[in-house]
Amino acid sequence: MASMNPALRYRVIRVYKEMLFMGREYPQGYDYFKTRLHKAFDSQKHLTDESQIMKGIERAEFVKKEIEALYFLKRYRTLRHRYDAF
Amino acid sequence: MFRTALLRSARQAVRAAPRCQAPIARPVARSSLFQTKQITPSLRFQAVRCYSASAGPSKDEVVGRIMDLLKNFDKASFPEWLRIHLANCSQVTDPSKLNAESHFHNDLGLDSLDTVEVVMAIEEEFSIEIPDKEADAIHSVKQAVDYILAQPDGKKRPFIFSSGK
Repeated sequence: MASMNPALRYRVIRVYKEMLFMGREYPQGYDYFKTRLHKAFDSQKHLTDESQIMKGIERAEFVKKEIEALYFLKRYRTLRHRYDAF
Repeated sequence: MFRTALLRSARQAVRAAPRCQAPIARPVARSSLFQTKQITPSLRFQAVRCYSASAGPSKDEVVGRIMDLLKNFDKASFPEWLRIHLANCSQVTDPSKLNAESHFHNDLGLDSLDTVEVVMAIEEEFSIEIPDKEADAIHSVKQAVDYILAQPDGKKRPFIFSSGK
């Protein structure tokens, strides 16, 4: 990992950090999220090809958007439930 | 010299005390007024000393706080599977290996992602932000301590106790 492009390395670390920050409000708890996230990143550590790493980063960004959408949906549902209780 | 300073401060305290106690001018309040006169000087001196003091956390304190943080990291928020995995490795993460010189990877068996988490925890503990490049260069407790001590921003912050995460 040390031999790879440092710019890409920082990008990966930044994505990891951003996702960790997002995971604090994860419904199933931070520890649950962190374990999964760590596993997911760890499973991709063999990648050395730059295009492959870029693909991985894009995938991480996609997952980030999904989590964001999950939070919005959760908030929407909670509010909806409070306004018309059924 | 010392006596005159003492007298002057005492006079000031006497002058200050009635000012804040002015609304209560009844004789009954006299005793409480007397007590505040006793207390206010020390409080005032304390406040003055706090603001003028330039000393931040000492090195020992920084070391202690980082060590506490790592101990908590190991105990509370370390994933179980990772601990088992580490136990299987030759490099075992036991708290006894944790000292002010511990290397995150060599001594504690943390991988680069764990290191990122530790650095994040340190950022929170000292309420500073470590840029990516510097954060990537921190690989041991000693480096973290040196970085915090070299940081003028982090030194002046008051101690804020953060529990666990």
